[in-house]
Amino acid sequence: MDGVTFDVGAGEIFGLLGPNGAGKTTTMEMLEGLSTPDSGELRVLGLDPTRDAPKIKARIGVQLQTAALFPQLTVAELIELFGTFYPRPIPAAKLLDELDLQEKRNAQTKTLSGGQRQRLSVALALVNDPELVFLDEPTTGLDPAARHSLWQLILRMKDEGRTVLMTTHYMEEAEGLCDRVAIMDHGKILDSGTVDELVHRRFHERTVRFDRIDALGDATLAELPGVSRVAHEDDQVVLHTADVAGTIGALLEAAAAAGTEPANLMIRRATLEDVFLELTGRGLRD
Amino acid sequence: MRSLIALSRANLKSFIRDRAALFWTLAFPIIFVLLFGTIFSGGGKLNYNVGWVDEDGSAAAKQLRAGFERTDLVTLHDGSLEAERDSMQRGDIDGIIVVPAGLAQASDPTHAGSPVTVTVYVDPTRTNASQGLVQVANAVTMGANLALSGRPPAIAVQSEILQTQRLSNVSYFVPSILGMALMQLGIFAAIPLVQQREKLILKRLNATPLPRRTLVASNIVVRLVIAAVQTLLIIVIGQRVLGVELIGSALAIAGVVVLGALTFTSIGYLIASFARTEEAANGMTSVVQFPLMFLSGIFFPLEIMPDWLRGVATFLPLTYLGDALRQTMVGGAPFVPLGVDVAVLVGWLAVCFLVSARFFRWQ
Repeated sequence: MDGVTFDVGAGEIFGLLGPNGAGKTTTMEMLEGLSTPDSGELRVLGLDPTRDAPKIKARIGVQLQTAALFPQLTVAELIELFGTFYPRPIPAAKLLDELDLQEKRNAQTKTLSGGQRQRLSVALALVNDPELVFLDEPTTGLDPAARHSLWQLILRMKDEGRTVLMTTHYMEEAEGLCDRVAIMDHGKILDSGTVDELVHRRFHERTVRFDRIDALGDATLAELPGVSRVAHEDDQVVLHTADVAGTIGALLEAAAAAGTEPANLMIRRATLEDVFLELTGRGLRD
Repeated sequence: MRSLIALSRANLKSFIRDRAALFWTLAFPIIFVLLFGTIFSGGGKLNYNVGWVDEDGSAAAKQLRAGFERTDLVTLHDGSLEAERDSMQRGDIDGIIVVPAGLAQASDPTHAGSPVTVTVYVDPTRTNASQGLVQVANAVTMGANLALSGRPPAIAVQSEILQTQRLSNVSYFVPSILGMALMQLGIFAAIPLVQQREKLILKRLNATPLPRRTLVASNIVVRLVIAAVQTLLIIVIGQRVLGVELIGSALAIAGVVVLGALTFTSIGYLIASFARTEEAANGMTSVVQFPLMFLSGIFFPLEIMPDWLRGVATFLPLTYLGDALRQTMVGGAPFVPLGVDVAVLVGWLAVCFLVSARFFRWQ
């Protein structure tokens, strides 16, 4: 870890975005009081995790990357057990309802599916009604339906006034959930801010994409108004432009003149993926 | 306190729901006790079945018979010599005592002829039974002779049964197997600890305000509860099924059991401190377990070991736990005084605990 600096405001969802091995989990564990930094300054809820770990632990909820459970206990038993570790736990029945685990309440945790396990893990993170919730790659390995239901849960945490600090290597998760993100790689924070800020800091242009039209060569497209660069992705042409309206108008005219029209036409701004590529020279999942 | 109870219950439930753990800690020692009890019970019992062949039929013979029965060491079965021989050859009885005709005359104080001879049939290949029976017969007839001489006995012998190193085999084995069970229970504490560390359960618990000392205390509570169940089962089976008599106080036995469970649990923690994976922990428990089992006088009394092996045994904690249990439960001859046993176990406990506290990793 080297030069990692960021602030998370109360009540926001903050995402640490980066590939595996970027140092996201290490950062989280230092804040959770599970490991101690060699140097630097940490404040969690105004307290120092190296000195006030027990006080902090009583007020935070933690979901570790690999769900750690007692395999032979039932869902309800495990939630009740964790409740005894805190002064004012949320009743198990309420959590079972909220996390849609009622029908699994008497199942031993080793029999749960990945999505159920992850919901249980989140239930355990909420058992003390925490002000701040740490979620470490909460949706990794889940199918799309389970992932979607977990996103709803995370948004509900924010509605309930909790602060959420989460890690992910899914760009769409960060864009869809996080108020602000920090991009990490090799133990460093490369940039941080809202998704819009991160994108606009680097990309003033947007892209216009459409299925390749053989009659329109790259040279022709490069002449269209506003176009600064022509690229190809799979079977699509990607035009980088500072003037979307002008580019599209001219493109439609040129296509009509050739007796066709652009199929699958899309306008996209740059994404976090592009930001990451720009910052590191490689993709998030590489 | 609330979290200690809850966590202990959770660990206990996990243990009970884990069939393999349940088998190795509860069923396995019981099978051992029953197996060894059955194998060794033949040679060690303190009561002999003896055929009684009375060819005299007089009041004097009846008195002699009563004398034998008073020893409580023989159970007499009346019959003819023919019939008793048959049943001895079948193995139903351990020996035969034949009282010849003429005992009544010989018992008369005025009788001056040659003594009448009571014959004891024994099988010399069954050393314990034959020696014991001859001794009993000698003692009883000596007493009878003394009584017949008409003088009040100058020296009276009050016989009390004192179990010493001539413990019956079963009495030797029951405390041994309890010691073995406590050892296994303790060192196997390493396995769930390493499992919980590998599965990051310890790490997850560490992210709660639960103090580590509560975590350690709950593991110890669980081990002690299981140790209590093991002890009760083994003692009840020893008493009811194998007829082992306990002479020690329940308090002393409980004290030694608790100390033994704690000492070996600390060895379990020591293993968990150095084993990184569950496989490594399994290997290390075996490496620790088998030498302890065979070199600590659990299966073979220390007296019959060669000197160099006995030298090894003097370093092993199970030697002292077994010795302490034998002394408190059945009054076996001490290998060392009970205080030394306790001191050695406390020493092992302290060293293992301190080393574990230094090297144990939570994640």
